[in-house]
Amino acid sequence: MRKSLFKNVNRAVRIVYLMALLPFALFLSCGESVSTGDVTFNVFFSDTNADWNNMKDEVGVYLEEKTGVTVAAEFPVGELSQKISLIIASGEYPDMIMPKGDAGALVEAGAMIDLEPLIEKHAPNIKKVMGNQFDRLRYSLNDPKIYFIPTIEYVGQIEFDMDAFFKLQLRALKEAGYPKVVTLKDYESVIEQYVNKHPVNENGQPAIGLSLLADDWRFVISTTNPAFFAAGYSDDGEWGIDPVSYEAKPHYFRPEEREYFRWLNHMNHKGLLDPESFIQKYDQYIAKIASGRVVGVVDAWWEIQDAVNALKAEGKFEQTYGRFGAVIKEGIKPAWNTPTGFRGGWGIGITTACKDPVRAIKFLDYLSSDEGQVLINWGIEGKHYNVVDGKRVIPEDVAAMKYNDQSTFKKTTGIGNYFMSVRYGDGVKDPGGNYYTTKFPDSILDEYSSADKEALKAYGVNFWGDLLPPASEFEPKPWAAFWSIPVPQDKAEMNDFWNLEQAVVKKYLPKAIMGAPSDFDASYDAMLAELDKEVGHLYESATELVKDRLKLWGYIK
Amino acid sequence: MKALNILCRKKEYQNKRTWLQKLKDQKYLYVMSLPFVLMVFVFSYIPIWGWSIAFQDYKLGLPFWEQSWVGFKHFITMFQDDKFYTALANTFGMSMMGLLLGFTIPIIFAILINELRHKLFKQTVQTISYLPHFVSWVVVAGIVYKMLSTDSGPINQLIQLFGGEPVQFMAKPELFWGIVVLSDLWKEMGWNTIIFLAAVTAIDPALYEAAKIDGAGRFRRIWHVTLPGISNVIIVLLVLSIGNLMSIGFEKQFQLQNNVVAEKAMVLDLYALVFGIGNRKFGFGAAIGVAKSVLSLILLFTANALFKKQTGKSVM
Repeated sequence: MRKSLFKNVNRAVRIVYLMALLPFALFLSCGESVSTGDVTFNVFFSDTNADWNNMKDEVGVYLEEKTGVTVAAEFPVGELSQKISLIIASGEYPDMIMPKGDAGALVEAGAMIDLEPLIEKHAPNIKKVMGNQFDRLRYSLNDPKIYFIPTIEYVGQIEFDMDAFFKLQLRALKEAGYPKVVTLKDYESVIEQYVNKHPVNENGQPAIGLSLLADDWRFVISTTNPAFFAAGYSDDGEWGIDPVSYEAKPHYFRPEEREYFRWLNHMNHKGLLDPESFIQKYDQYIAKIASGRVVGVVDAWWEIQDAVNALKAEGKFEQTYGRFGAVIKEGIKPAWNTPTGFRGGWGIGITTACKDPVRAIKFLDYLSSDEGQVLINWGIEGKHYNVVDGKRVIPEDVAAMKYNDQSTFKKTTGIGNYFMSVRYGDGVKDPGGNYYTTKFPDSILDEYSSADKEALKAYGVNFWGDLLPPASEFEPKPWAAFWSIPVPQDKAEMNDFWNLEQAVVKKYLPKAIMGAPSDFDASYDAMLAELDKEVGHLYESATELVKDRLKLWGYIK
Repeated sequence: MKALNILCRKKEYQNKRTWLQKLKDQKYLYVMSLPFVLMVFVFSYIPIWGWSIAFQDYKLGLPFWEQSWVGFKHFITMFQDDKFYTALANTFGMSMMGLLLGFTIPIIFAILINELRHKLFKQTVQTISYLPHFVSWVVVAGIVYKMLSTDSGPINQLIQLFGGEPVQFMAKPELFWGIVVLSDLWKEMGWNTIIFLAAVTAIDPALYEAAKIDGAGRFRRIWHVTLPGISNVIIVLLVLSIGNLMSIGFEKQFQLQNNVVAEKAMVLDLYALVFGIGNRKFGFGAAIGVAKSVLSLILLFTANALFKKQTGKSVM
């Protein structure tokens, strides 16, 4: 009796004691303590991924087991910036988000949390990968917090085979006897010779000398960016930046670039430029290239990839392209390989809606670890690669699927689905002496066709990229690249630039190029005057943007 | 004086009574129309609240009372921008041309179809003519580009067949309005015919018979019976489409444009899309929308007043 009473009292005391502790425990769990069970994060990806398999792929299953984290992916339908606007307007944020160029709006809305304390405490691998470029993660001079971990840029990437835009069909090169292509004149003469000799192709369609693409934003890739490359500058988006005073102005103001556009005018006058260059849509352009009629293309490989793949699939390797860094006149060094260092830029951030940011950063940190990087690039050992003599080797059946059926490969293995944190680029080796990524010199050579190899042999190089001056010949650009600078709130007026400027350039440049050579200068001058009028008020902000980045990164005071 | 007062009150009372009486008599009608009135209110009137954005430097994610008010700033920028007037001219140009063609041709087409005797043939023609209505503008734009291309486009092949020089149709800014209006006509003609056809079938056949007995031929019957018979429908639709002159949408211009003709393709909606929403300047975009609505209202009321004066009939 007594005993049982005591027992009861004891239980009561225990309950009271527990209840007293409960709020304390709750408080603790609200703080830094990390949940250990399985957790699901809603992650918004910037690009749709048809091969996303809800983590049911092999790498996904492994990741889930290893980290206890499930990623519930969400993709944009339609235009990304509209979707980001909608997310902000609704106030319903995912746990993690990759907004690409629309990061500014999210930061402005106060949706992103500062990752720096989290990284300092829980993410040794992210710190290790960033190394001495850690400051390049910071958002802006007035707001030097870290909101995003870059997912699109790689660290330490070496370009084995830089993609120069001036492309010539291999059969035209062969007929011309593999001549040196250094200047635009050389480039032109290969086209001219071929078109004069073969005015119609084997299907009776007229040959096209040089076709450009001007559809929507692709206008800058194929029509305007080549101008600064041909003039010996590197990519700063629509801007040209003085390396001494850091003054920014649209790159069209460079006198050398005027000569590039004059050359296009000259090509048109000679009848070598496709008259549909400025009106064709992307699909028309791709169809033309895939028909093998286009002798010269000035474009990035990723833009004509579909067409080239079609040509390859039909075995028409001699109708694919060799790549050159043609310049306006002799003596200009094509600057495709200008080193930029890590560009910071677009990435993934954790929002205020995330209930367990520590767990989230730990997950991202795992993806940046040596083990994690090998996992997302190579897959699982024994399944997707084997280690033979200390080297990672992809078994033949896996490789066959990887190159011939990319979609199924990605869907079943999950390799390529988890690029969600900062990682090393091509050419960086892990402590075991293996490359982190699956792209390295040997693997690139495997993808070259026999026609490619024949041409490269004639030029005496291994890769097309070897025809360009190497990175070691250039001074690194301290501001990396203008286009990679995020536009902070205090420079919001810069958000108007793109649409205003594109409207002017798209209006005047096609006229200048398609017009009579005698009218060229007048049209070009009219464009420059209109640029001054429409976006002149932004030159100063752009200059400040460059200087702010240099201050943020510690180059100038 | 007192008597007058009483009289007034009595009349007031009577008025009130009759109004209440009416309400009571028609209560089912009111109840039935309520959902639609509510719908119009919710979807057409409440959104007008959004016009307040036109007077703010609107920022996403901030509550209403934290937005900064800027007065008429956006309107001033807009009226100082050359592109606004280009957009206005393009909108008017294309919609006027569209109204001219897109209105007369379906009427003529409806009358012609109505005159057809063979029923199966009539139905086939009608179905085929309105099918393009269901095709998306993305596809239509692709077809138009292929048709007009100098690179083995059928129309240029036809021109070359007759010994002409191929024409770069899509690279001629002066042709762009015409191309938009004609492709719109091709797409929507059959669809727009349906309502006129319905109106034609509502005409009393006795009128035709009477006209026939009076010796009227086919054209006489069309002129004196069919056209007057559908004139009410024509006027109502015409006034309404004048009110819609400013809202011609931007799909067709957006899909058909290219850099060379871009200047002729920029309509008001596209202007708002690119320089308002596209630049995340929601305030500026809203200001363009407000200007557009005001212009539409002016047009609508003017058109209605003109018709009222001319015909004694009114839409409102």
